[in-house]
Amino acid sequence: MTEPRNPGMSSIPQAAPVHTDSTSPAVEMDPVEYTLRKRLPRKLPKRRNDVYVNMKTDFRAQLARCQKLLEGGGHREICVHGLGLAINRAINIALQLQASSQGVLQLAANTSTVELVDDLEPEDPDEAGEPMTRTRNNSAIHIKVFYPDPQ
Amino acid sequence: MFTGCGVVSGQNQYFNRPHPGLEVNRPIQMENGVTSGTCSVYQDQTYSNAGQPAVVHSVSTPLTPLPVPPPALKLGQEGFKKVCRTEEDSPCPFPGLASGVLEMRVKEGSKIRNLMGFAMARMQGEKDASGGGVSGGGLRQVVFTGSGRAVTKTITCAEIMKRKVGSLHQLTKLRYKVVKEVWESAAGGTSEMTVHRTVPSISILLSKDPLDPQEPGYQPPETLSALWEEKEGVESSSQTACKRSHGPLPYSSFPHSKRVCLGDGVSVHPPH
Repeated sequence: MTEPRNPGMSSIPQAAPVHTDSTSPAVEMDPVEYTLRKRLPRKLPKRRNDVYVNMKTDFRAQLARCQKLLEGGGHREICVHGLGLAINRAINIALQLQASSQGVLQLAANTSTVELVDDLEPEDPDEAGEPMTRTRNNSAIHIKVFYPDPQ
Repeated sequence: MFTGCGVVSGQNQYFNRPHPGLEVNRPIQMENGVTSGTCSVYQDQTYSNAGQPAVVHSVSTPLTPLPVPPPALKLGQEGFKKVCRTEEDSPCPFPGLASGVLEMRVKEGSKIRNLMGFAMARMQGEKDASGGGVSGGGLRQVVFTGSGRAVTKTITCAEIMKRKVGSLHQLTKLRYKVVKEVWESAAGGTSEMTVHRTVPSISILLSKDPLDPQEPGYQPPETLSALWEEKEGVESSSQTACKRSHGPLPYSSFPHSKRVCLGDGVSVHPPH
């Protein structure tokens, strides 16, 4: 969310030459109203031990799901993924898992950048607005929660 | 809802705090045995302001029992205000690190352009210095740390730097950071409470020099796309193992139901 708006916006003048005035991006958007549709993130691996954390599901439910995978599911390791705002929650879940395992579980966190695509659809079809897409980046975290020494 | 509480200057993170606080505290309540003492509440600590009388006043009744529900909400409702917030010093998450490493402490209100402007200049080295051939391209390592709501920003900074500088080795560490908050009763101004709460924090070490690949949380340079393939390779073994133990139920049922559907479709057609 906090990430660069401007790089994404800079591509707009090329797509819609009407708005080439060097005004601020917000003003640039005004003449034609667009609906911003956020596409879903690019497809990601979904194994049985992958947990994608979101902000809609109850925190405890997601934590319980991870605990189930590790304790009942017989997994030696699970991978907790969080994108954007859900990074915090993913970290929280991983740290909680580690704490409740009395420190047996280990964490290995990796970070990455995920490219997201937004669709801009003109509100009013009569106006000269063309459908556009805009890409932006968001940060993501991938935390491997595992029992060390898997032998 | 917290805006009613007075805020001491310098507490610029205060207004946005309650939410992460709540989120942090909820799980902790469940783990009282492990993170013992983190949520404990003390009355009338010696951290009180100089002008405060040292007399012990009992705090309003609901707060006196020790196992208090989430402090932030409760305190706010009870008319307490936060007067002090200090992060306890925790040891460096990267043991063998040289002392002079640049540490970027990312806060919630930090501007990424400021952070990156400073860090990039240090990592790339000043132009005139490199012209003299002394620094040879600036610092070798930088650490980004952030906690609570600043975690996302911290990662973003590290990601931007990786993209701009290139071929950086990365080591990511997660842990809880203990934050001590002193709350003061707004009504009387005489009673104080100290709350220890834990906030998730992240530390990211970026290094131009190779790091130990065996260390958990290590990421080799340029893992932008390789991250997934590599992980899939590692985890495919564990996945097959799980399939053997748990797979039979769902996997056997699916093909079966499909066949049933097909059979229905075929049986419908002949009468026509």
